[in-house]
Amino acid sequence: MIQILTGIQNTSAALDAERTRLDVISQNIANAHTTHDVDGKPYQRRVVVFETALQNAMAGDRSTLPAIQVAKIAVDKRPPLKVPDPGNPEADAQGMVAVPNINIHEEMADLISASRTFEANLAVVKNARSMALATLAIGRH
Amino acid sequence: MIEGLFNQPNYLAAKKTLDAVALRQDAINNNLANVETPGYKRVDLAPSFERELEKAAASNDSGQISTLSPSLAVDTTATAASKDGNTVHLEQELMRMNQNALTHNLETQLVGNMLARMRLAITGK
Amino acid sequence: MSPLTAIPAYSAHLLPQVERLPAQDIAELPSTLPAAQPADSNSFSSLLGKLVSDVNAQQQAAGQNVNALQSGQNVPLHQAVISMEEANVSFQLMVEVRNRLLESYQEIMRMQI
Repeated sequence: MIQILTGIQNTSAALDAERTRLDVISQNIANAHTTHDVDGKPYQRRVVVFETALQNAMAGDRSTLPAIQVAKIAVDKRPPLKVPDPGNPEADAQGMVAVPNINIHEEMADLISASRTFEANLAVVKNARSMALATLAIGRH
Repeated sequence: MIEGLFNQPNYLAAKKTLDAVALRQDAINNNLANVETPGYKRVDLAPSFERELEKAAASNDSGQISTLSPSLAVDTTATAASKDGNTVHLEQELMRMNQNALTHNLETQLVGNMLARMRLAITGK
Repeated sequence: MSPLTAIPAYSAHLLPQVERLPAQDIAELPSTLPAAQPADSNSFSSLLGKLVSDVNAQQQAAGQNVNALQSGQNVPLHQAVISMEEANVSFQLMVEVRNRLLESYQEIMRMQI
């Protein structure tokens, strides 16, 4: 099928990757106080790991530049924090509760960075479209 | 007869610059797509090509201009933007994208005007 | 002197014929116009023939570019658009040349002998 906007295949890969990252960050923020996850233990922070995927070179492709993709959604291995909260039903013998090791400021900084990258790639698509329209207007008299 | 019509040096230079601008846009798009990729090095037009284009345009030689071939290369002057060695600075790259978009606009208008002038010379309209 | 004598092709090829006209039947006139002069590679008709084949080649190249674009190959958009426009301009050139020739021919035909 016809490809008017060439050169933005990697952009859609980047948008996918950042979207996944945003989802994972919101999940972390939502579960910042989940002391009882499905496995009974406090929620473990999830981290997105990016890797390079060499784009499959199409016939006549002008570039084989790398695309980004999500390698895996890894579990942050850092142990849960112990917080004193004797009134909590989850409290142990010393009155300490294990809460997820999620720093809200860290998550917000990640969120902002992921949003910026996402917006930048949206701007790329918008720009590619306006450049293509300008090109099509070359012959117009 | 036709070759003479489209072989003017400034027309050829405008077309070649348009080729370069389109290729550069590809590079910038890829740089922005990989701004979070660990270890990615930004790419841009090969600096040798830019110098050749300037020289050929100044020389006003159609043959020299038409043999130019734009290409991309890893930007060796880029500095690391993050701990993992990624050399794409987001703001700088967005600036470059804006700049390139305007250059593209200029070149398409130039080429369009030259074609319109040819048409005017031929048909009087 | 007719303003047509400013055109070199006219002076070289047609004017001698025109000057001989009074001795010839008007109905024979079209057949005395030079149809083809293959020996002279710079003659007007061979120039015309070259023009037509150049324009045709350019149209075909533009068509190929557009076909490649439509079939999904990675052709830069500006290349396809510019080659289409160039083909259009060449075609217009050819049409104008044809119109001018036709006008000159009709001008000659209208001449009182």
